[in-house]
Amino acid sequence: MIGALARMPSTLRTFGGSQVSNLVGLLIVAGALALTLQHVLQHSASFFFQILIIGIADGTIYGLIALGYTMVYGIIELINFAHGDVFTLGGYFSLALFPIFGIAEGKAGFGYVIPLLVVAAITMLLCGVVNVAIERVAYRPLRHAPRLAPLITAIGMSSILEGAMYLWRGPNSLHYPDLLPLTRFNIGPVNIGVKDLIVITFALVLVVVFTLFINLSKLGKAMRATAQDRDAAQLMGIDINRTISATFFIGAALAGAGGITWGLYISSVDPFLGFITGLIAFTAAVFGGIGNIPGAALGGLLIGLIRAFSDSYFDSSWTEVLIFGILIATLVFRPTGLLGMRVPEK
Amino acid sequence: MALLEVSGIDVFYGRVQAVRGASLTVDAGEVVALIGSNGAGKTTTLRTISGLLHPAGGKITFNGKDITRTEPQNIVHLGICQSPEGRRLFARMSVLDNLRMGAYTRKNAVEIKRDMERVFELFPRLKERSNQIAGTLSGGEQQMCAMGRALMAKPKLLMLDEPSLGLAPILVETIFNIVREINAQGTPVLLVEQNAHKALEVAHRGYVLETGVIVQTGTGKELLESEEVQRAYLGM
Ligand SMILES: Nc1ncnc2c1ncn2[C@@H]1O[C@H](COP(=O)(O)OP(=O)(O)O)[C@@H](O)[C@H]1O
Ligand SMILES: [Mg+2]
Repeated sequence: MIGALARMPSTLRTFGGSQVSNLVGLLIVAGALALTLQHVLQHSASFFFQILIIGIADGTIYGLIALGYTMVYGIIELINFAHGDVFTLGGYFSLALFPIFGIAEGKAGFGYVIPLLVVAAITMLLCGVVNVAIERVAYRPLRHAPRLAPLITAIGMSSILEGAMYLWRGPNSLHYPDLLPLTRFNIGPVNIGVKDLIVITFALVLVVVFTLFINLSKLGKAMRATAQDRDAAQLMGIDINRTISATFFIGAALAGAGGITWGLYISSVDPFLGFITGLIAFTAAVFGGIGNIPGAALGGLLIGLIRAFSDSYFDSSWTEVLIFGILIATLVFRPTGLLGMRVPEK
Repeated sequence: MALLEVSGIDVFYGRVQAVRGASLTVDAGEVVALIGSNGAGKTTTLRTISGLLHPAGGKITFNGKDITRTEPQNIVHLGICQSPEGRRLFARMSVLDNLRMGAYTRKNAVEIKRDMERVFELFPRLKERSNQIAGTLSGGEQQMCAMGRALMAKPKLLMLDEPSLGLAPILVETIFNIVREINAQGTPVLLVEQNAHKALEVAHRGYVLETGVIVQTGTGKELLESEEVQRAYLGM
């Protein structure tokens, strides 16, 4: 699997998503949709909407994490396996910060909005710093080494972060305080929680702000330029080391925000949460088109929906098989993902 | 003191030496051609001047400042910008964004806007295509975009690596006319070309590079008339 990932860019060039595999893909998707529809019709509409909302909320969080995978891959062609653990770290950092800002369960209210946002900002900053440090010590010295080398150190960094969280707070799952209001209300057949709305809005706002930043800011353009042609970027006066650091920082900040959102939504975190969540988000990034930023957001949303529907209409024990089946199918049949690259590389 | 002074640089790829003790200078106001066949080391020389490669031996100074070990982004700040071999545009960005990336090191928005107008005057075609994605431009348009992008850095020395490569004859003519015009407006140019004839016509002076060694130098006219050059590079 690791070998396959290391070879991925060359696969990207050789496969193009042939007519036949496109057709087969369409048939499979159509079949899956028909089967899902059949199951959906056996249950109530309100159940359907509830699952839909869970899928969207999970999906936007996966999207937040997937953005970091895709950005880092885009700029240095490395799958940062530690990224999922930086996401978990967001949960752990924020848990440690809550008491400092007087935030505790059971007293939720509007007074918490500001402290919660402050905690989120500090957590994002800390996660960013950790990821920049990881790049500096574990990836940059290997930039000219064979591709497999940094991939292996990435797995090593992932274990180190998981081990550090394990030592810090122990092996058990930690309760994350319920800080969001539990009020629910109905719109027609749709029963929706204020919590769902807050989580989805928060994640969406971050994705939108981030997209604007990448497309409009000077640093964002430098990041895209470096991803598209590193030498040419240097010839335009871009400091690529700084740009790569910025990429790791921003990706990690988004993952950290994802960690908080996850904690608030699911109410628990554990040291190994990032392993599986990271793999799912990575799948989302590949599904949407690795290196492609809108693709990561879209892939996250779709994977979130697939997961929610598979969990509730089918059997949750098959969900991971399904998701990693999607990962493998994407790598084999359509390595550029759903959105791929808008223009072929030179 | 010359504007750019390359003295005796040795450049290696691993253990393979691509440039051997090459020396050349570019003075203010000049167009200097660096000619030689495929694999002679022309691109390697330009990449070394730009700081993408560092020489194992020798020295490079620009405006009297030693830039032998300077990082590429700082060399751009000092005023050397190149349009690299193969254009190397940011393929998924618009023409306008590519040009803006050229001005990455600059702050003054008014001056940048003025230079953008100047680039559009030199290459009216780019203005029509300013919102098109660079990867979808034709070869000639891509070359114009690459040259325009380098000009947006407002370089004190412009380096062009094979600007005419792969272009239709009529476009080759246009490109060389534009090189003349850029120089007439005051920018010194170091021009790397396999099209020796055209390059030497435009250049004040030239150097001939053969397997990493500078074997001949002189004014453009002298080189055009030299027997060796005629035999090896002009197909006479
Ligand atoms: N990245 C590289 N790695 C190893 N050798 C290289 C590399 N780039 C160029 N060379 C070698 O260096 C020599 C000079 O190449 P280059 O500077 O590209 O020549 P030119 O631009 O004159 O065609 C050639 O023999 C080429 O094979
Ligand atoms: Mg060359």
